Amino acid sequence: MVMNDFEVRRKKIKPKKLFLTILKYTVLLIGAFCMVLPFFWMISASLMTPEELISDTPRWLPEVPQWQNYLEVPKRVPILKYYKNSLITAGISTLLVLLTSSLAGYAFAKIKFRGRRQLFRLVLATMMFPVFIFLIPNFYLMKQLGWISNYLSLIVPFAVSGYGIFLIRQFVMSIPDDLIDSARIDGAGELKIYWRIILPIIKPAMATLATLTFISMWNSFLWPLIVTSSFPELMTLPVGVSRLSLSFSSAENQHLIVTGLVYQVVPMVVLFLYLQKNYIKGFMLSGFGDL
Amino acid sequence: MNRQIKRRGIVGYGFIAPALVFYAIFFGFPVVFSLLASFKRWNMLTPFSEARFVGFKHYIYLFENELFMRALLNTCLYALITVPVTIFLALIFANLIHHSKFPALWRFLYFTPIVTPPVAIGTIWNYLYRPNNGILNQLLGFFGLKPIYWLTDPNTVLFSVMITAVWAGIGSSLLIFSAGIQNIPQAYYDAAEIDGAGPIVQFWKITVPMLRPSILFLTATGMITAWQVFDLPFIMGKNAPSKSIMTISGYVYETAFQSVRMGRASAGAFILFVVIFIVTLFILRAFKKGGINGYE
Repeated sequence: MVMNDFEVRRKKIKPKKLFLTILKYTVLLIGAFCMVLPFFWMISASLMTPEELISDTPRWLPEVPQWQNYLEVPKRVPILKYYKNSLITAGISTLLVLLTSSLAGYAFAKIKFRGRRQLFRLVLATMMFPVFIFLIPNFYLMKQLGWISNYLSLIVPFAVSGYGIFLIRQFVMSIPDDLIDSARIDGAGELKIYWRIILPIIKPAMATLATLTFISMWNSFLWPLIVTSSFPELMTLPVGVSRLSLSFSSAENQHLIVTGLVYQVVPMVVLFLYLQKNYIKGFMLSGFGDL
Repeated sequence: MNRQIKRRGIVGYGFIAPALVFYAIFFGFPVVFSLLASFKRWNMLTPFSEARFVGFKHYIYLFENELFMRALLNTCLYALITVPVTIFLALIFANLIHHSKFPALWRFLYFTPIVTPPVAIGTIWNYLYRPNNGILNQLLGFFGLKPIYWLTDPNTVLFSVMITAVWAGIGSSLLIFSAGIQNIPQAYYDAAEIDGAGPIVQFWKITVPMLRPSILFLTATGMITAWQVFDLPFIMGKNAPSKSIMTISGYVYETAFQSVRMGRASAGAFILFVVIFIVTLFILRAFKKGGINGYE
């Protein structure tokens, strides 16, 4: 065994292989540099004085880190309110998507009923329609329903996701029929099967769906921009942050824009770092890799 | 037994009922409403039923309108360039990461833009792209190159936005490829190794063909998303002539929510739908030719 390892290692040190290894890591490093640079610059610039930010020779690091920028932003911008709005809308709509997707996904995968195929095709087809077709009618609908001045307008139109139904269905399909049939023979109702058998098994897929939905809701911009344009009370983080550039356009306030960005970006990156393993595992378990 | 199956079927409808009711209200209604609105002159202030019917006037206007046609062209260029470039780069980096030490670390570095809101991405890049005091032009100067007017030159701005879009989009493709690569049996590579195939041959002859389903999936979803691009051009195109960076979505947004011409905007949205529909059909055909029959 030891001998084997040694031989393999000796083979690896051929000049061509060494060259390829160096090339590989050089490309990876250049790529990583490009990916990290904007984030590095954002963090660094968030600690600069406004003069440093607009100086003629671009600076990479602040002379003295201006930590007070981080205290100034919440004083000048209702950033905590934006957080609260984003958390409420993204959180509740994610829960609704999980509920509706798992119910429908289970039914489409394991319960036979008339028109199942056609209805599932319809669900897939909905993913093809551009959001722009829905923008105007749904805005009008929200206005007519009187929801435009509250959270409902930001949550309800996102309570169902065709992608979510598709993802859960694919996952439930891989559960053996025997498991469900034997529960049925034991007299368990469909709701009980869903709650006791299906939900525990599809946890990884639900975790993936929750992460994907939460991120996309947290980041969504166009619909909140339209709905909240006359209701600053309801603005979500991306809408609020996009207005920083407008409200702080003057040179002496430039630093607040960048610091505001950090407020928006960093929590998500930290959350992602924490969830990364689940996220990728869920992707693989749901068969997305070899779809 | 038969009655049980029947009852189960009713339960099945119950399980999909929330989704169906939702689709009827937030999908069926808007599609019909939009189609009707695209034939009417309507500003949302008057009741919809009183809006005047104008036939194909909006559609004719749009096809004769220079700005809309430019938007169509810009969006087409954007979709046809960013989607393949993103997928190609993601494929290469997914492969490199798979064969490297510390894959989790590399992946994290490349994935981070996925969770960054496009609004924030656009704003950061606006600073990096500044002509006189941006660090990108400083880097160009370091290599002895002339500064580029990234976001103000009408011939450059679209490409600058595309660079940012590729940067932002690489992560999610990489995620799917990373999952796919791990499912390729190692035996294939071992066999190729014995036959004397180098890593580049292995990439083209094993990795790429084995990932074909993921590649096609990403092309289809990528195209549908790219044709609807809004956030980045909206955030990054403010200092360029609007013609040079206008997208179909941007045009629809401005027409609907700034000029309050709901009929014309609906017509624009429907043209976008038809384009996406044709593109998707085209890609699904490619799916079939590639031996993948939809999702069933």
